[in-house]
Amino acid sequence: MNAALDSRSRTATSRPASERPVLALPPRPSRLGQTVATAVVGLVLLVSAATLDVEWSDLRELPAAVAEYAALMFADPDWSRLPRALFEMWRSISMAWLGAMLCVVVSIPLGMLAAHGVGPAWLRLALRGLFAVIRAVPEVIIALVLLTVTGLTPFTGALALGIAGIGTQGKWTYETVETLRDGAADAVRAAGGGRTALVRWALWPAALPALLSFALYRFEINIRMSAVLGIVGAGGIGSMLANYTNYREWDTVGMLLIVVVVTTMAVDSVSGALRRRIMEGA
Amino acid sequence: MSPGTTTEPATRLDLPPRPRTWPRRTLVFSALTAFTVATCLPAIGGIEIDLAAIAQNWRHGAANLSALLQPNWSFVPRTIQPMLETLQMAFVGAAIAAALSVPLTLWAARPTNPNTVTRTAVRAVINVVRAVPDLVWATILVAMVGVGALPGLLTLVLFDVGIVVKLVSEAIDSTDHPYLEAARAGGATQGRMNRALALPQSLPLFSNQWLYALELNVRISAILGIVGAGGIGRLLDERFGFFAYGDVSVIILEILVVVLLIEAASNVLRRRLA
Amino acid sequence: MTHDTQAAEAGHAPASAAWPIRLDGVSVTYPNGTTALRDVSLDIDAGEMVSIVGLSGSGKSTLIRTINGLVPVTAGTVTVGPHTVSGLHGRRLREVRGHVGMIFQGFNLATRVDVYRNTLVGRFARAGRLRTLLGVTSARDREVALTALDTVGMLDKVWSRAAALSGGQQQRVAIARALSQEPSIMLADEPVASLDPPTAHAVMSELERINAERHLTVLVNLHLMDLARQYTRRMIGLRDGELVYDGPAAEATEADFEQIYGRRIRPQDRLGDRT
Repeated sequence: MNAALDSRSRTATSRPASERPVLALPPRPSRLGQTVATAVVGLVLLVSAATLDVEWSDLRELPAAVAEYAALMFADPDWSRLPRALFEMWRSISMAWLGAMLCVVVSIPLGMLAAHGVGPAWLRLALRGLFAVIRAVPEVIIALVLLTVTGLTPFTGALALGIAGIGTQGKWTYETVETLRDGAADAVRAAGGGRTALVRWALWPAALPALLSFALYRFEINIRMSAVLGIVGAGGIGSMLANYTNYREWDTVGMLLIVVVVTTMAVDSVSGALRRRIMEGA
Repeated sequence: MSPGTTTEPATRLDLPPRPRTWPRRTLVFSALTAFTVATCLPAIGGIEIDLAAIAQNWRHGAANLSALLQPNWSFVPRTIQPMLETLQMAFVGAAIAAALSVPLTLWAARPTNPNTVTRTAVRAVINVVRAVPDLVWATILVAMVGVGALPGLLTLVLFDVGIVVKLVSEAIDSTDHPYLEAARAGGATQGRMNRALALPQSLPLFSNQWLYALELNVRISAILGIVGAGGIGRLLDERFGFFAYGDVSVIILEILVVVLLIEAASNVLRRRLA
Repeated sequence: MTHDTQAAEAGHAPASAAWPIRLDGVSVTYPNGTTALRDVSLDIDAGEMVSIVGLSGSGKSTLIRTINGLVPVTAGTVTVGPHTVSGLHGRRLREVRGHVGMIFQGFNLATRVDVYRNTLVGRFARAGRLRTLLGVTSARDREVALTALDTVGMLDKVWSRAAALSGGQQQRVAIARALSQEPSIMLADEPVASLDPPTAHAVMSELERINAERHLTVLVNLHLMDLARQYTRRMIGLRDGELVYDGPAAEATEADFEQIYGRRIRPQDRLGDRT
């Protein structure tokens, strides 16, 4: 097989051989595996696309539809409901903030205990398992389950955000602690410090900037998540948006979208700037 | 490193003045407190912390919870078709997004697009797309194009393009590309350099994020059905509506298993591609 | 190898004649305010091999980059062959760059791309608009690129990724990339600073050979005095962006070098002899 490839590449590259010396080109390495893998993925993709319940021909009308709805939403947004929208937006921000605080307060001690060399092995494994399971289930589903237990209010929405984030936040915490452990931890141990001294004087100060930065990042994620929880009924801007979409009052929907986008981008940029300052100060 | 070991000095040492950090600390602390208090004021939209309501709800909730802990396994066959649709949406969405992300990313990164105007424009559009949460996109798209897999697919594509373009263009920005200087010195056009060098050189960055987008897609497409955008979420929402918690728990377990499987598979792939 | 090389050379009629280089009152000030070159005027004849010597920060990288327009001049004019580089933009500038090969201290290869396609980059300036759009290469492009690889003795690595090569091998591929431009001028910016002494001598000999066999104008930045003396006939000294020496390299005295460096000679200013 290699010989065949070899002769092909030879003839391809030295066609004007009559006038030029033949170059001793090594055989091109086989890429059979790669080609087969690409073909398989492509085939699965085609079958998936073909059997999906989508009329692909509808896509032709999509640009016109998008233009039409964009005009309905943004040509003349209805600003009369802005005060109400800001009220609901603040409710979503509150949900996100309290959820982030709860998440951080719970996940920092749990995450620390899950780090190598801090907690006992059985606890470490149990906590890591718990984090992995919480991470795998979509946040909305965790929230829906919690909401069946606690009822649908913004407060329970915040609780749901707090718990749904523990999986990822806990993982970040123990990963951070583990990357920081070595030098400072050895110093404390060399000075005869116990486990508590280790956590208090070696891990905590070194990990603090990263943990604060993650906490802010959790807030950014929660801003988006709180709007999503609103759609499933927890209140806030998401609920308002879902309602007005159902009423098909597009000019109000346009206004709400502008509020969501502007708020999210503002929170992202403020929080991002703070995170950079925290990490530079570290 | 260990200020804890400082004890009261027996003799008076000539200490340099302690840096005054408390005014700043107080400022930061009071700002955070004020913000937190404001988020708890129902009058301005904040959240009413009502633990009593939860306690009241608890008996009702405990019953639900115990129902959730008893999966109704006979429901499994009905979940297979919607689960398949969820996976199809996730995969097709990720593939379309992967194709779209290549030119957009090269447009949004400084080394591959020196033109400030077009670069800023692409980045601005991507940031706006990213600022709208996934389920909000789905809600609006369902209202626009009707219930079904199409709005779900569009949501996934928008979400993936946002995340891949942002992360990969930032990664391209933060690495050195000396080979581009060499190609420029040889008289190559930007397009040719991007295609022949920058793209193959950045392919690991792309494939990493494409796999990440696929993982996220499985999780998102599982819930898109809640607003009518196809997949297993529709069934989940319906069973929730009927308070059929045994069925709900089957669906959740299935999602858990599928997500873990996809993550494991993509980790294997990532290691092979690296 | 030499036999093969000569055969390859024989098959290759010199596609391009060497170009002279002329700098007239060139100054460069970067946007951040640093002045890298002050009123430098130079005349280099076609086919000369010239070294530019100076400490890092003396402006020699800037000087060499004004010649192919990678760094735009703030004042003065740069002329290569029939073209005035300063003031050229876009397509015209790319065309001129196509005639000026360049190699770099860091080799500047795309490490994840194979040697073959890294070398083909040297043909990009010659591709027509349609080919550029489609990204296809002609049989002649492939022929020139492969011959260039053969010239530097890297043909057996043609399908390897650049990352799999040693530093010396990467620099050879970079030279092949520049040669496949069929250039009229070859620029080399500290080509041996990242290499060990034997490899450094090999790469310098390669440049010497290119100058002799292809009759190219070669301009090479160096910070080591013995390499400049050994491989080039004419030497230009730069200090703080000003031209402080221009004369025969072999006759440059230690005092001349101390004037260029602005300090006494240290052991690290010499590479050491060929082993």
